[in-house]
Amino acid sequence: MSTASLTDRIGSFSRGEQVATAGVGLLAAVLLVGVVVGWITVTYLLYLVALAGMYVLLSMGLNVQWGYGGLINFSVAAFFGVGAYGSALLTADSSPVAGGFSPVVGLVAGLLVAAVLAVIIGIPTLQLRDDYLAIASLGLAEVVRMIVLNEREITAGSAGLTGIPLFFADWPVLGSLEYPFVLYVGDTALFTMERSLLIAELNVLLVVVFIAVVYLFLRRIHLSPWGRVLRTIRTDEDLAKSLGKDTYRFKMQAFVIGSVIMALAGVFYTHLVLYLNPQDLAPVLTFYVWIAVILGGSGSDRGAIFGGFTIIALQQGTRFLNAAGTIPVDPAALRLMIVGVLIIAIVRVRQEGILPPEKELIWPGSTEGSADE
Amino acid sequence: MSNVTQGAVLGKDDPVLRTDGLKKSFGGLTATDDVSFEVERGTITGLIGPNGAGKSTLFNLVSGFYEPDEGSVSVNGTDVTDHEPHEIVGEGMVRTFQTPRKPEGMSVREAMLVGPQGQTGESILPLFTSSSTVRREERQSLERAEEMLERFEIADLATQSATDLSGGQMKLVELARAMMSDPDLLLLDEPVAGVNPVLAQKLAGFIEELHAEGQSFLIIEHDMSFIMRLADPIIVLNQGSVLVEGPPDAVRSDDRVVDAYLGGPA
Repeated sequence: MSTASLTDRIGSFSRGEQVATAGVGLLAAVLLVGVVVGWITVTYLLYLVALAGMYVLLSMGLNVQWGYGGLINFSVAAFFGVGAYGSALLTADSSPVAGGFSPVVGLVAGLLVAAVLAVIIGIPTLQLRDDYLAIASLGLAEVVRMIVLNEREITAGSAGLTGIPLFFADWPVLGSLEYPFVLYVGDTALFTMERSLLIAELNVLLVVVFIAVVYLFLRRIHLSPWGRVLRTIRTDEDLAKSLGKDTYRFKMQAFVIGSVIMALAGVFYTHLVLYLNPQDLAPVLTFYVWIAVILGGSGSDRGAIFGGFTIIALQQGTRFLNAAGTIPVDPAALRLMIVGVLIIAIVRVRQEGILPPEKELIWPGSTEGSADE
Repeated sequence: MSNVTQGAVLGKDDPVLRTDGLKKSFGGLTATDDVSFEVERGTITGLIGPNGAGKSTLFNLVSGFYEPDEGSVSVNGTDVTDHEPHEIVGEGMVRTFQTPRKPEGMSVREAMLVGPQGQTGESILPLFTSSSTVRREERQSLERAEEMLERFEIADLATQSATDLSGGQMKLVELARAMMSDPDLLLLDEPVAGVNPVLAQKLAGFIEELHAEGQSFLIIEHDMSFIMRLADPIIVLNQGSVLVEGPPDAVRSDDRVVDAYLGGPA
C-alpha cells in the first residue's frame, strides 16, 4: 500500500499543485509574449523577478512564525525596515551616521539588529497568549516607521537615503567589470551587454542564492523534531508544555529566525533599488506578505515561494492593465479590492492555501525501515 | 467503614507525588483549600468528587499550569512548586487533558513523536552538526511509537491524519503518546469522558496492563464504574479539600461521600 501511495504522489500532482503549475505557466507565457512583443524589457522583467524574490524571502520569514508556530506578527514591515535601513545607513554615501562600509558589513549588521529587536519584543510577549504578540507587533511596526521618519540626524528622515551601493559593488571581479560588458574573440565583439541588464541579472542571481540558502535551512528545521514541537505549539501550546517542551524557547527561536529572514529581504531590497525612504516601511507591506503566506498555504515553504510571486504578479498586473488603458479605475484601489476578494476566496474555497504543507513531516531517512513492512 | 480515613492518608512509604497545604483562590472563590495528599508509587490512585470540588484546579496546580497561593508540590522527593510545566515533566510527571485537541497537519505517528523527552533534534544547532544522531533517535522513537500504537491496538492509524480520528481514538493516542515520555507518574484527566463504553472498557484494560508493569497513575474520572474498577486508593475531594481516602468499596458506601454527592449535610 505504501509503495502505491508513493508512486501516486510522485506520479500525479495534487489539485493545488495543478493550480499552481497552471498559474505559473500562464504567467510565464504572458511575460514571454510581453518581452517578444516589446511591452516589457528584459531588464525590467529581471527587476520584477528580483522584487518577487524579495517577497519570497519575506513570506518565508513570516511562514516560520505563523506557519510553523502560529505566531501572529504584524510587524513584517518593521523587520524588513530594520534590515533595509541597517544596511543602507552603513553603506550609503548620504548616510548621516556611518556610510561607506561594504554591503557585506551592512548585511551582517542589519540581520543582527533585527535579531536583537526580535528578542526584545519576544521577551515580554511570547510568555503571554498569542494575541499579545499581535498587538505589540502592530505597535512596533509604527514605532519603527516613526523613528525612521523623525530621527533625521540618524536616518535622513523623509528625504530618504541615496547613494546606496550595489550589493556586489566592492566584490573582486563583479565590482570592477567595465560597462557595457563586451566579450571579444580576437578583434570581433562576440557579445555585448548593457550595464543595467548585467546588474539585473546579478541581482536575480543574488536573490536566488539567498532564497536557496534560506529554503534549505528552513527545510531542515521544519522536518525536524524542532519543527514538530512548533507544529504542536501551533495547535495547542498547553499540550506542548504538558509533553515537557519549553514552549517559550521554541517560540522565541522561531520568532528570531523569521525576523532575521525578513531583515535579509530588507537588505536585498536596499541594494536592489538603491534608494530608501520611510514610505518603504508602510504597513501595507505587512499585509501583502500575510496574503502571500495564507494564499500559498500556512506552514508550507514552497507555498511561501508561490505566494511571494503571486503578490508581484498582482501588483504589476494591475499596473500593466492600467498602462494599457483597459481599466477605468485607479489601479491602487483595484489592487486592494483584488486582495480583498482573494482573501475571501481563500477562506471560502480553500482554507489551507494553494500548496498546503505535506500531511506528514518526518526527518528524512528515519521512516525507511517502516516502509519495508 | 473503618478503613476510610478522614482527610488524605499521609506518610506513605514511597510517594511519587506529594502536596502539602495547597491553596488556590480565584477572586473570592477558594477552589483548592489546604490540600495535602500523596500518591504512592505503583498505585492507580483515583481522584473523585462532585462537580466544582476542585479536581481540575488541583491537577493544574500539581502540573505547573497554575501557581498555588500557598503550599508545596514535590515529585520524586524534589520540590517543584512554582516550576514551569515542562520542568515538572522533566521530574517524571506527565499529564493529559480532558478534551485533547487534535494536532493539525500531523499524522498519528508524527504526533506520537512529540512525546519522547530530551530529543537532540529539538535544538537547532545539532540539526546541522549531528544529523546522524538525530536520524538515529528518530528511527528509535518511530519504532517505539509503532510498538506503542500496536499495544493500544491502533497501529492501523499510524499514518492517518490526526484530525481524522474520533474523540475516543484521540484519547488512546494521548495515552500512548504520554507513555512515550516514560513518566514515573501519569496524570489522566477524565480518560473516558465522551468515549463509547466498548472503547472505555478497552482503555481500562490497557491502564491495568500498564499498572501491572509498574506504571503509577493518578486519575480524575466521573465514570464511577470505571474508576471503582481501576483505582485503589480513591481520594474524594469536596469543596476544595480532601474529604476522605480509602479503598473503592469502602469509599462508595461511606456516608460522608454519599452526602457530598447528594448535597446532604457536610
